[in-house]
Amino acid sequence: MLEAARTPGLNVYTYSEVEDVSGFVGNFNVKIRKRARYVNNDCNGCGACFDVCPAYGYDEFNEGMNPRKAIYVSFAQAVPSIAQIDMTRCIKCELCKGVCEVKAIDFDQEDEIVDVEVGSIIVATGWDEYEPETGYLGYNVYPNVITQMKLERILAPNGPTVGHLVRPSDGKKPEKILFIQCVGSRDLNMNTYCSAGVCCMISIKNSKLIKQHYPEMEISVAYMDIRAAGKDYEEYYTASRKEGIRYIRTNVSKIQEDPETQNLKIIIQNTLSSTRLKELEYDMVILSCAMVPAKGVEKIKGILKLETSQDGFFKEFHSRLNPIDTKIPGIVLAGASQSPKSIGESIAQGRAAASSLARLMWKDKYRILLIRATVDKDRCAKCGLCELNCPYDAIKTLADGAEVNEILCRGCGSCLANCPSEAITLRYYREPQYEKQIDAILEEI
Amino acid sequence: MAGTIRAQYPSTIRPIRINCTGRVTPSLMMRAIGKGADGVIVAG
Repeated sequence: MLEAARTPGLNVYTYSEVEDVSGFVGNFNVKIRKRARYVNNDCNGCGACFDVCPAYGYDEFNEGMNPRKAIYVSFAQAVPSIAQIDMTRCIKCELCKGVCEVKAIDFDQEDEIVDVEVGSIIVATGWDEYEPETGYLGYNVYPNVITQMKLERILAPNGPTVGHLVRPSDGKKPEKILFIQCVGSRDLNMNTYCSAGVCCMISIKNSKLIKQHYPEMEISVAYMDIRAAGKDYEEYYTASRKEGIRYIRTNVSKIQEDPETQNLKIIIQNTLSSTRLKELEYDMVILSCAMVPAKGVEKIKGILKLETSQDGFFKEFHSRLNPIDTKIPGIVLAGASQSPKSIGESIAQGRAAASSLARLMWKDKYRILLIRATVDKDRCAKCGLCELNCPYDAIKTLADGAEVNEILCRGCGSCLANCPSEAITLRYYREPQYEKQIDAILEEI
Repeated sequence: MAGTIRAQYPSTIRPIRINCTGRVTPSLMMRAIGKGADGVIVAG
């Protein structure tokens, strides 16, 4: 990210949102809303304002586990390294303004709309962690039931506990930890898909990491199936078993907290050994939640006129033969915007997306098939039905009749089927051609 | 589609490939029925 921001000719808009996209391949116009930081670009990220700010908010980067000031930098490696003010928390005391040496704080700053002309677009909206319902497996009710993302922050050296593994209820080091797999995935009531083994591998990684630091700690993983499909993944899983991490094939249906110790009790049965139900007690439970489409995907979908699959991720041109392109030329997908995937697969798709667009952009020509709708303007009654029915936004009703944008048009023919004056024809698929076909194949009947 | 899933269908069915189901006009369907077809399935 830092490197990208330093590359000449590359503009990075952070803390911004795409508002509108118009045009077509080679000529997209993108409207970007740069949200007001209330701190201008003179800020050098020195952090003097953080110390004087008396108002607090929750640190989103650390999953809300520690407080941050109302004026803050979203995370240490943020690009650009400019502070921003959380106006929902700010009390407008203006102490920061007084302490800022470069006079960067500007309470009157407003959102800025930037118009950008681009030739092609890569959608890389990523994913979010599935949030279980409150009460499901004790989530949000028992403090020691946390999600994988929170554990990641707890284990991180720059996290809320500076890397010390402690449980949220009392800040003590846990002795027994249970990971529960497939929370919110492979479940007919939530998401039916498997998150491509990512949650399995994260649990294996985190359990190995904890075991390295605290070899005496007892770590179990309750799983349905371990999906370790990928280069070196199976070996990694086997290594974790050798290190003493216990894998229990089971389906955890309920967790109960001991009110005194705040330990968590679960009743499970190992379905591989068909033993009797056992009650086990753990100090901390980590829910390995599904990957779900990022928040805001629905908005981007509307702006770019893309489709999503049943699982909510962006729909690709073909799930096996062309997982990069979308149905719109010049707009391609990368990473977890298309389906849950690991880091390696995301990088592969990102680079493939970039090079496929480079191939498209470096020629000044765009090749289209001739199967396109054409309008006989003398017959056109300018009723606008074609414009209404075009799924690609390729036809516009102008004063002298409807006009087809030949790059946007994909030759589906929805316009001509709806045209009451029969003014539109589709090259190579004209009405008489179909009539001849129908007549010929029905001759023998 | 019937081919890829190895489904059997009667030999009296006559498929015509159309680039999109949106392209099918009522007049085409009526023509087929007028020429003696028992029915028209629009599948996509």
